[in-house]
Amino acid sequence: MSELNPSSSPALTGPAHYVRLPGDEPPVQEAPVRAKRRPKYGQIVTGFVAIALLALAIQSQAQNPNMEWGVTWEYMFNQVVLQGVGVTIQLAIFAMLISIVLAFVIALMIQSNNKVASVIGRAYVWFFRGVPMLVQVLLWFNLAVLFPRILGQDTNTLISGFTAGLIALSLAESGYMAEIIRGGIISVPAGQTDAGVSIGLTRNQALARIVLPQSIRVIIPPTGNQFIGMLKATSLVSVIGGSDLLTRVQLIYGQNFKILPLLIVAVLWYLILVTIAGIGQHFLERRFNASQPGSRKPRRRTPGDPATKTTTIRTTTGGAL
Amino acid sequence: MLRIDGVHKWLGNNHVLRGVDIEVRTGEIVCILGPSGSGKSTLLRCINHLDPVDGGIIEVNGERVGYELHDGQLFEQSERRVAKARQHIGMVFQHFNLFGHITALDNVTYGPTRVLGRPRKEAVAHARQLLAKVGLADKDASYPSQLSGGQQQRVAIARALAMEPRLMMFDEPTSALDPELVGEVLQTMRQVAEEGMTMIVVTHEIGFAREVADRVVFMDQGRVLEDGPAREVLDNPRHERTASFLRRVH
Repeated sequence: MSELNPSSSPALTGPAHYVRLPGDEPPVQEAPVRAKRRPKYGQIVTGFVAIALLALAIQSQAQNPNMEWGVTWEYMFNQVVLQGVGVTIQLAIFAMLISIVLAFVIALMIQSNNKVASVIGRAYVWFFRGVPMLVQVLLWFNLAVLFPRILGQDTNTLISGFTAGLIALSLAESGYMAEIIRGGIISVPAGQTDAGVSIGLTRNQALARIVLPQSIRVIIPPTGNQFIGMLKATSLVSVIGGSDLLTRVQLIYGQNFKILPLLIVAVLWYLILVTIAGIGQHFLERRFNASQPGSRKPRRRTPGDPATKTTTIRTTTGGAL
Repeated sequence: MLRIDGVHKWLGNNHVLRGVDIEVRTGEIVCILGPSGSGKSTLLRCINHLDPVDGGIIEVNGERVGYELHDGQLFEQSERRVAKARQHIGMVFQHFNLFGHITALDNVTYGPTRVLGRPRKEAVAHARQLLAKVGLADKDASYPSQLSGGQQQRVAIARALAMEPRLMMFDEPTSALDPELVGEVLQTMRQVAEEGMTMIVVTHEIGFAREVADRVVFMDQGRVLEDGPAREVLDNPRHERTASFLRRVH
């Protein structure tokens, strides 16, 4: 097997002015250099310790009668719980959609040349980002105190826990989303607007048709983040009886006093929902990154690949040139 | 065809354009040379009202871009009318500015279909013609990020030509390119010139100016220092600043 002998390279041992002539190729490395890997002792030891601790933790809790895993399993797919999961998903999706629509408008207002619109937009973000979500939820629910009757209907029946929660979550989220969308818009280079405008689009048209589509790519990761946050924020409506997963879990353990098992049910469901959302975000990002350099997987180059330009040169002596 | 008369512009406290006078006739090729900061690019951006002027007149075919006269009083034009006027002025940028989210072909058909409202079939046929003319017929389905700088710039030229402008402006079109790719873009620009387009080119490529331009304008610190036939200004500059600039750049 021929070994690479760098000291035979003409460039290092030859004349002061080296010129590569055609046919003057260094020997091709036909096989990857096989050096033995040093065992990674640190990783091995840490790995064992981690696995041992995890096994210990699982064992102690798996056998712990107070955890009552049977109860957890029993309620995992309980109908009331499943309905709660459904409400959580609905709340998260609708709140996210509404907040994105609102946020687009606010972001455009802040970015516009209209000073009044800009100020109003900034004030909106200041308020809805500033007041804690929980407080906003309580405020909306207790609106009934201020306005006992809206549109001829008793406010308490019109604004249920779900509706108040939806409104509160949408508005609160829109404050954050407006800034995310605005960030996406300003991340698109100004040259894009110049180019759009130079072929006869108005500035607003260039913004809507050229800038916004390109801003989506930058907006998606933080939006995915926010959606995951929203899935969890829905649990806030439990303080106003919003019928979501947490509300129902609390109702159940309020009756059977199996607090921990049922909270574990809630934990597991939230983790499941968040995991699915994360996977969805991954696919969404891939779809929108298609026009970027480096987003298509490169072909793996093997030594025999005709695309690589080096040639294999065999000399009669079998050694390096 | 293009009249720039006494144009002034401030950028903050910086007096970027200090009374610029330039005239360009139909079919003329004018190269604007000068050191950085001389206001060349700013001037170009003022011609199609990408940036407003603070004083003076700019007229394209007798019409001011961006402003209109009512009873002797100057008013700013609405965004819509300015946009319409820009349809007839093509611009090629230093950093290409191709629309990154669509293919090369879509970039070239964008103006004709979405702004001029031409039917898609016609626009696509015309676009393919233009891409072939700039030597990129096989790259029509590529995204800008998959093209080299020289290729992107040629697509950008095709995009500007697709609007069938009366005037083409080039803002340092080859300054951001690898030296090897400069040639292909200059070649394309030469083709455009030979077809009789009125062109204003801000550039550092003296060779191009010498061979293709009819006139050369030398600017420094917001003023036109010299303006004359290309060969004369480049071979026998009369202003000492022009001479010293050319000596160092040539």
